[in-house]
Amino acid sequence: MIEVQNLTRKYGDFTAVDGISFSVGDGEIVGMLGPNGAGKTTAIRMITGFLPPTDGQVSVAGHDLFEAKVDARRNIGYLPEHVALYTEMRVSEYLAYRATLEGMTRAEANQAIPEVLSDCLLEQVRRQVIGTLSKGFRQRVGLAAAILHQPEVLVLDEPTVGLDPKQIIAIRELIRKLGKQRTLLLSTHILPEVELLCDRVVIIDKGRVIAEGTPESLRQSWQGEGVVTVELKGSPDAAADSLAALPGVVSVAAAAAGRYELRCRPGSDPREEVFGAAVEKGWTLLELALRQTSLEDIFVRLTTSDRSPEADPTESGEAN
Amino acid sequence: MNGIRATLGRELRAYFLSPLAYIVAALLLTVNGLIFGIIISFLSDPQAGIGAPLEFFFGQTIFFWLILLAATPLLTMRLLSEERNSGTIETLMTAPVTEGQVVLGKFLASFVFYAFLWAPTLSYVGIVAWYHEVDWGPVASGYLGILGIGALFLSIGMLATALTRSQLVAAVLTFALLIPVWTFGLFESLVTSETAKTLLGYLDLWQHMDEFSKGIVDTRHLVYYVSATAFFLFLSTRALAARKWR
Repeated sequence: MIEVQNLTRKYGDFTAVDGISFSVGDGEIVGMLGPNGAGKTTAIRMITGFLPPTDGQVSVAGHDLFEAKVDARRNIGYLPEHVALYTEMRVSEYLAYRATLEGMTRAEANQAIPEVLSDCLLEQVRRQVIGTLSKGFRQRVGLAAAILHQPEVLVLDEPTVGLDPKQIIAIRELIRKLGKQRTLLLSTHILPEVELLCDRVVIIDKGRVIAEGTPESLRQSWQGEGVVTVELKGSPDAAADSLAALPGVVSVAAAAAGRYELRCRPGSDPREEVFGAAVEKGWTLLELALRQTSLEDIFVRLTTSDRSPEADPTESGEAN
Repeated sequence: MNGIRATLGRELRAYFLSPLAYIVAALLLTVNGLIFGIIISFLSDPQAGIGAPLEFFFGQTIFFWLILLAATPLLTMRLLSEERNSGTIETLMTAPVTEGQVVLGKFLASFVFYAFLWAPTLSYVGIVAWYHEVDWGPVASGYLGILGIGALFLSIGMLATALTRSQLVAAVLTFALLIPVWTFGLFESLVTSETAKTLLGYLDLWQHMDEFSKGIVDTRHLVYYVSATAFFLFLSTRALAARKWR
């Protein structure tokens, strides 16, 4: 449904998006994940046709976004990162304006507007002036405008940013509902959102795709080692050394007094050995827990590990 | 077409809902009313000689130009700058519309509102007609001149607002661009080359308006307004399409 090929955008010497390629299949929910400043918004703006790319191609529903602009855009519903609305208009007026802009007939608009008002839980504010609405409501108005013309593809740029927890839950609920009927591309820097909503994840850092796959497959392929947390009462002498000697343990880091983090070989679970050692040495065990690599660990590792060799020279270069 | 229809409708609504438009309307009507009053009392003095009040009104005073120069930047300055500054341009330009449709829709809205601002001056025509015979030809050509020059000025304002996200910069830039367009006629006496003199003579808006107010409709003037308006609107669509910002 969405095909992105070698998409590149440069601002002067700075490359914001550096040759990314990926595709989103029919009816799929794909999350674009990356830290702030990774180039997500720039990529999204090119995918929605707002920003012309320096290089590369995007096609949506078979239409090239820069050859057949208008046809391609007809198939896209877009919620930008900063939902900007005309503050002097009423909610229903704004939706009527969007309907005209999308080329809907009056009859189509009259049918679609009440539908999206109810889908986005906006019925009680439909007569209200947009400028007086809270951020959560404005986000929902933006979403209502994005789905008004029933696009096949929905592109949402950080849809939950700046909302309170209750609003976040409501918006996620809505996104999940919308995702059932459409192809959805979602950008976010919030991990649980991706794990919760998406079939597939594309991780972007410094303008490049650094990993891609289902949340499970990412977890599996990056499941280097589990981490066992051990807490011992009164931090006994040489406990770290004894723990490190246990089979399956790669290294031991002391997190706090009496608290150790054991990195384990892939697939190994040394909890039994830790318990055995505690009994043998007479330690009092306060905590013993195995943590599987979460998507968050993968994300943090991916976006920080290869940062040092590459990013440092540029950073010092900027300082000069 | 839907792009033109949607932006035209929205901008017209925005004009009639914004206080700025009413301030401009009040300014225009106050100054026009004063000018008209002065012209009438001047011409009612038996020693003043003979003249048609509406002819004076349409182009023989500098006030007409001052209004035009002050009002057009205020009417056009927010058209695209506001969309860019608030970010609404993002959802506008990702809708299935072209840059040309957006520019044209917004320009037409400003033109309709501009025409609406002049509409009350029809009452002056009515007042004169009540007391005296009115020669309708010059009145019609006078309004034709007002609309033609207005279109040209508004299209220049359109270009300025397409170039910047700041409404203030757009207004000042419009003013800065209007001044030379307005004063081509003054340069006429400054240049020595015969060709330059002729060229500037063609572009002399004061001269044009003088002729229009007397009932002379020179199609060359109209061609100038229409083609220059089209040119500035074209530049506006290119400026909007470039989208180099952020």
